[in-house]
Amino acid sequence: MGVTFGKKGGGRNFNNNKYERIWILSKTDFKLRYADTLLGFFWTVVTPLVRLLIYYFVFSTIFTKKLPNYGLHIFSGLIVWMFFMEATKKGITVLKTKRYLIENVKLNSLDLYTSSILTSLLIFGINILVYLIVSLFFSTAVNWTIIFVPIQVLIVCILVFGLILILSTINIFFRDIGKLWEMFLLGLFWINPIFYAKTIIFEQFPALMYLNPLAGIIINTRNGLLMGEMPDWNIAAYDLAYALVVLGIGLIVYNKYFYKAAEKL
Amino acid sequence: MKDKDTIIKLENVSKTFWIRDTKPQKSFRDIKNLITGGNKHKIEAVKNVSIDIKRGEFVGIVGANGSGKSTLLSLMSGVYKPDKGGKAQINGHFMKLSLGLGFNAELTARENVIINASIMGLTFREIKRKFNKIIRFAELEEFVDTKIKYYSRGMKARLGFAVAIHASPEILLLDEIFGGVGDEKFRAKSENAFRKNLLEGRTIVLVSHNLNVIKDHAQKVMLMHKGECLKIGGHEEIFLFYKNTLKVKELKILA
Repeated sequence: MGVTFGKKGGGRNFNNNKYERIWILSKTDFKLRYADTLLGFFWTVVTPLVRLLIYYFVFSTIFTKKLPNYGLHIFSGLIVWMFFMEATKKGITVLKTKRYLIENVKLNSLDLYTSSILTSLLIFGINILVYLIVSLFFSTAVNWTIIFVPIQVLIVCILVFGLILILSTINIFFRDIGKLWEMFLLGLFWINPIFYAKTIIFEQFPALMYLNPLAGIIINTRNGLLMGEMPDWNIAAYDLAYALVVLGIGLIVYNKYFYKAAEKL
Repeated sequence: MKDKDTIIKLENVSKTFWIRDTKPQKSFRDIKNLITGGNKHKIEAVKNVSIDIKRGEFVGIVGANGSGKSTLLSLMSGVYKPDKGGKAQINGHFMKLSLGLGFNAELTARENVIINASIMGLTFREIKRKFNKIIRFAELEEFVDTKIKYYSRGMKARLGFAVAIHASPEILLLDEIFGGVGDEKFRAKSENAFRKNLLEGRTIVLVSHNLNVIKDHAQKVMLMHKGECLKIGGHEEIFLFYKNTLKVKELKILA
């Protein structure tokens, strides 16, 4: 009884299990995130709902002139925002948390990024389900335009991939980047159309719309989920182009400096 | 044709680290250093090393603590990039084993084995087939679902070695896997694995203070001293040189 592998022997193709590998990495990430907590998996549902309740009560007291379906309005923006926030925050430290792998085995480290995003994407998917369930209580029918939502999800994933490639590489040399990014997110929240509609702020400062692709992504996601409208294709195309440029920059930065990861982290 | 069999190739490889001391910042000068990057010092961990390792070779690396053995392994694996002027190449998939590394402490043995095996290229079906063998080899049947953080050093070493053998990477870089474990049974078992053809066809680089293991298994021994490679050759030649030139205490193991 040997331990050699039947037909595949020595010269195995190490990409034959690529998708399994990415899946197993994100599955364990997911597990680790809620390890040792009592509610475990249910935190994925509880966290956005609590946020929703707080924002709903705060903002509906501030703004007297309410938007229609205000709860769902906030919720549809909030889940996109939370995905963006979680995925980038997790992604910044991916090289550090996966250091035990980078150091000891030969692997394509881009897989680590993919699996990191996939973990957040799982939570995003669950949140969309929760949204659909909540929307039943508001007796709003699910619109057929929901079929355009995956396009927005794809755009935001490309954007996040590019951003975490850049941020995690910076994190090798400059560990403060995580804290700075958190502060940046704190501000970014307010210039995104989460608790207001696009018209309020972007008519005064149209530049914000172009600097911050997330605004367009949120608007288009909301169009699909809540409004029953087609996405604004101009904005979607602009956002996609923006995300691809960020991804391109990310890949260049990553290729140039990734080798430092094992030495410096 | 000759190059096809070369698995690891180092050519004039050096590695210099710039370490910045982290002291609490007290004075203006300290803050200035922080910005200008002053207050760094240079560590030349490996100096101008060249070696060719062929397919199926078992190479031992010996030397005192801090002589650059572990850095050399990281250079071989490509995880560290050599300084300018040097060239390091590795052809094939490797697994580097050292005590306590390679596992996520928060995960159970089962999860860690699955992740490691998956990264080594095993499919779920293969992992399923090999899983019990791995655990049996490591003799950890009772602790499969225990988190690695509760494992002893010896248990971690056993698990790591078991995965390495069964996950079948072409190249094994072993860093002091027996060091300080004090587990005779595991040592005997691993040596047995070296002896039998469990590892046949695989290229192995073993860093160890245990000269007996190196003497029994390594075809080629490399002697490191203060970052330099003093000599590469058969174990008799190297140990004699080691004994005469460096007069290191550890040699009493050889008796």
